[in-house]
Amino acid sequence: MPGIGAEGSSLPSPAGSLPAPAIGWQRPLRAWLKRGWLGLLVATIMALLVLPPVWTLLQTSFSATQTDLSYGGLTLEHYRSLIQGRNLGNAALNSVTFALLATLVSLCFGGVLAWLVERTDVPMKGLAYVTTIISLGTPYILYVTAWLYLLGRAGPFNDFYRSWIDAEAMPFNVNSLGGMVLIEGFLWSPLVFLMLSATFRAANAEMEEAARMSGASIPQTVWRISMRLAWPAILALALFVFIRNLESFEVPALVGMPGRVDVLTTEIYRSIKEMPPRLGYASAYSVVMLLMVGVLLFAYGRISRHAERYASITGKGYRPRPFRLGRARWLAGCVILFNFLVVLALPLCALLWVAFMPFMRPMRWSAVKFLTTKQFDAVLSSPHYLSLGVNTLVIAVCTATIAMALTVLAGWLAARRQVAGGVIDQLVTVPLVFPGLVLGVALLELSLKSPLPLYGTTWLIMLAFTIRYMPYGMRYAYAGVLQIHPELEQAAGVAGATTGTTLRRIVVPLLWPSIASGWLFIFLICAKEMSLPLLLAGPDSQTISVAMFDLWSNGQGGEVAALGLLWAALMTLFASGFYAIMRRHAAKTFGH
Amino acid sequence: MLNVRGLTKVYANKGDGPSGGVQEASFDLQPATFFTLLGPSGCGKTTTLRCIAGLETPDAGSIRVADTTFFDSAQGVSVPMNLRRIGMVFQSYAIWPHMTVFENVAFPLRVTKGEKLTGAEIGRRVEEALERVSLQGFGGRSATRLSGGQQQRVALARAIVLRPRLLLLDEPLSNLDAALRDEMRNELRRLQQQIGITTVYVTHDQTEALEMSDQIAVMERGRIVQIGAPRDIYFRPANAFVAGFVGTTNWLDGAMGEACGPGIRQFRLGDGRSLQCILGNQQTTGGARISVRPEKVVLRRDGAPAAAAHNRLDGTVVFAGFLGTMNRYQVDIGGSTMQVYDAADAAFTVGERVALDFPVADTVALDG
Ligand SMILES: Nc1ncnc2c1ncn2[C@@H]1O[C@H](COP(=O)(O)OP(=O)(O)O)[C@@H](O)[C@H]1O
Ligand SMILES: [Mg+2]
Repeated sequence: MPGIGAEGSSLPSPAGSLPAPAIGWQRPLRAWLKRGWLGLLVATIMALLVLPPVWTLLQTSFSATQTDLSYGGLTLEHYRSLIQGRNLGNAALNSVTFALLATLVSLCFGGVLAWLVERTDVPMKGLAYVTTIISLGTPYILYVTAWLYLLGRAGPFNDFYRSWIDAEAMPFNVNSLGGMVLIEGFLWSPLVFLMLSATFRAANAEMEEAARMSGASIPQTVWRISMRLAWPAILALALFVFIRNLESFEVPALVGMPGRVDVLTTEIYRSIKEMPPRLGYASAYSVVMLLMVGVLLFAYGRISRHAERYASITGKGYRPRPFRLGRARWLAGCVILFNFLVVLALPLCALLWVAFMPFMRPMRWSAVKFLTTKQFDAVLSSPHYLSLGVNTLVIAVCTATIAMALTVLAGWLAARRQVAGGVIDQLVTVPLVFPGLVLGVALLELSLKSPLPLYGTTWLIMLAFTIRYMPYGMRYAYAGVLQIHPELEQAAGVAGATTGTTLRRIVVPLLWPSIASGWLFIFLICAKEMSLPLLLAGPDSQTISVAMFDLWSNGQGGEVAALGLLWAALMTLFASGFYAIMRRHAAKTFGH
Repeated sequence: MLNVRGLTKVYANKGDGPSGGVQEASFDLQPATFFTLLGPSGCGKTTTLRCIAGLETPDAGSIRVADTTFFDSAQGVSVPMNLRRIGMVFQSYAIWPHMTVFENVAFPLRVTKGEKLTGAEIGRRVEEALERVSLQGFGGRSATRLSGGQQQRVALARAIVLRPRLLLLDEPLSNLDAALRDEMRNELRRLQQQIGITTVYVTHDQTEALEMSDQIAVMERGRIVQIGAPRDIYFRPANAFVAGFVGTTNWLDGAMGEACGPGIRQFRLGDGRSLQCILGNQQTTGGARISVRPEKVVLRRDGAPAAAAHNRLDGTVVFAGFLGTMNRYQVDIGGSTMQVYDAADAAFTVGERVALDFPVADTVALDG
């Protein structure tokens, strides 16, 4: 008969550990329910959150369109029009080209930067980190507008060309595939830098030294050892960035659409915004994207597992022992400076310039006399923006809180292999296959058909955000639970605590740093995410980034810049304050 | 064969200024010597080894192998590490996971300048190296599918495949479990003798050092404090640190007395009893301590006749433990206790009065 301790990490529940063969099956079932109710509950909630969107998409894409939005008969009509129209092939081709090239740009740029900073004696390493951290907190739409200005008709590059070389020409048309690739590439290179620098830092320096001792020169070592070792990690990262580029909406919408460069996400957006919305058509498109992303994610999972296997047999590197670059050092320093200019300084200058100008004009000394705070005044004095800000904050705070509460439970159940833990683990990853826009379409349809008056409310946006960002919360929670020794919980159980009490008194307090980091992460992306609320927001549930999109579409670039800068500053302040408090709190609890 | 002169490498650590590293290390090795750098963690063994390998550039000193100068700060010579032709086994083994065992071992043959080998020759040399470490037939195996012991053998094969003049090993056994460690210790020594390669071995484990080496250098805080054969190091430690670090020892406090024979001095214990001792090194003077190894002490019944050239102390057994191969005793000799390892059949009981006899030649006086 198994004793209490034989239950592994589960908490002692005497009824659960005593099989009672003679009495029949009710007893074990009841015992199992008693042990597993929490798991079943969480699994049910998860299923209710993530499965209906998938189902709705499928159903809509296979149903004939009805004017009252109810489902018509089964039909392949939407898929047929998808395949027969020229748009799908064109959009898919554009999507893939765009994603591929942008991935290459960010990978080359971010990768070289990461290698220089982590593995060589390049100067100004600190600058690379500062640039990256600041850029990660900035809303994408703000970045995109900055680059649109810089590379656009009135921007300094084209302006320079016109003033000095050819007054009539416009050498660089930003509203093209090239422009999209460049901007998206710069957008993602900070993340690539962060992830690859972790890879290079964790690499075992002895692997390279062993090659040098074997007689290999530096280029031979870099090519035959360093690169090959990092290869699985690079490949996994490339696939990840590729997926995100495929799903990307900001750049295609702001840069591509005006130049009539259509990709899958903008096609979906367009068919939703048409009057009447072509929901079936959009759903069929969405299903195609879902399948693409699903396949890619599967491949990603395989590759990153492979990468981990490489990582797991590297030993303990002692100290970073960077390659000496010698005379190439100053050249490498230029790469760091270039990164600083491109990722931080130039966009920031452009935004400030645009925000302080009454209307878009080239950067010239002669224009300085026009400088004005009009746009800032407009933003700061408008009750409309204030309510938008409050709205966005409420949404972000609620979403982060709900998502973390759910994922702490889910993470604990999964990490401790409790009843339904495995199922929960699977369910939580489902939202990863949804591009933001596709989830938006699914929830839009869901809300139109749901008996509850969800359509156009903030609730709908919160629901969408919660579903979308649960996987991220899960990563924090799961990893956090794994770091807590199971015996700490078992001790509470032996002392007589119930599951609930153990969670409340032991797990949550110990998990607090992970919960706080996850919360902040979700809060920050909710505060800057655009594609979901763009589809789901009603007149009373607008968010800052939607407002920025609308302003930009109306040609009010100055106000976008002013609003965005203020918002980014607020978020940066918020994040740093949050970190400071968290640090103090952690020092109190854990004594270091 | 290997000549190291005044090797100095000091690290400029942030915060606490220059520290760590190695200072003024000098030694000369005959060909085919198994030379061990022994010392506690952080004493500069790895730094010394890495300087020889060329992975670290020394601040001062010179390093020569046979008639080649690898490094000389005075002449400004520094041969890059990939041109030194030295075999090295790293602490983490550093087996490249993206290559097979064969490719790992063949790598040095493929990349070394001036080593233009045909595919067949490479195959032959690799197979020969694998055979030497008893891994014949493992060539096709993926490097990620090896146990710790096998990884270590691959690392060894890779280090010797170029037939280098010098082999460097940095704590190669510390990542293995105890049983495997004993086995590999013997095998490593056998391999070294078979191919007759000069070897510099780094370890913090004194039994490893004593069993395997021809020569040992004991290091303390960046400096070499004694170089000698294992027996010299163990029985004639140059100072208190060496005696304490290499094996266990009994310390007796007191003061040096007058000379009473060639190389023999009088030593007065705190309570007035007097012993004869030899000097650990020539500088030993004044207030000193003497060291007596526990296995050099023999227990006798109280009142048994004293042996010639032996010291005698009286005491009471306070602890007796039977370990199978020997008996371990603690004997109160009036104020302090001495550890004694005695033969397995020498049985004394707790509380018994005993006489402790130990040779004068193993009673070594050392600086406090
Ligand atoms: N790259 C380095 N930078 C700064 N200090 C170092 C570095 N490498 C070693 N040290 C310091 O030098 C001392 C000797 O280190 P090491 O040679 O690795 O010791 P060990 O004898 O354990 O192998 C240590 O105190 C260590 O902290
Ligand atoms: Mg070491």
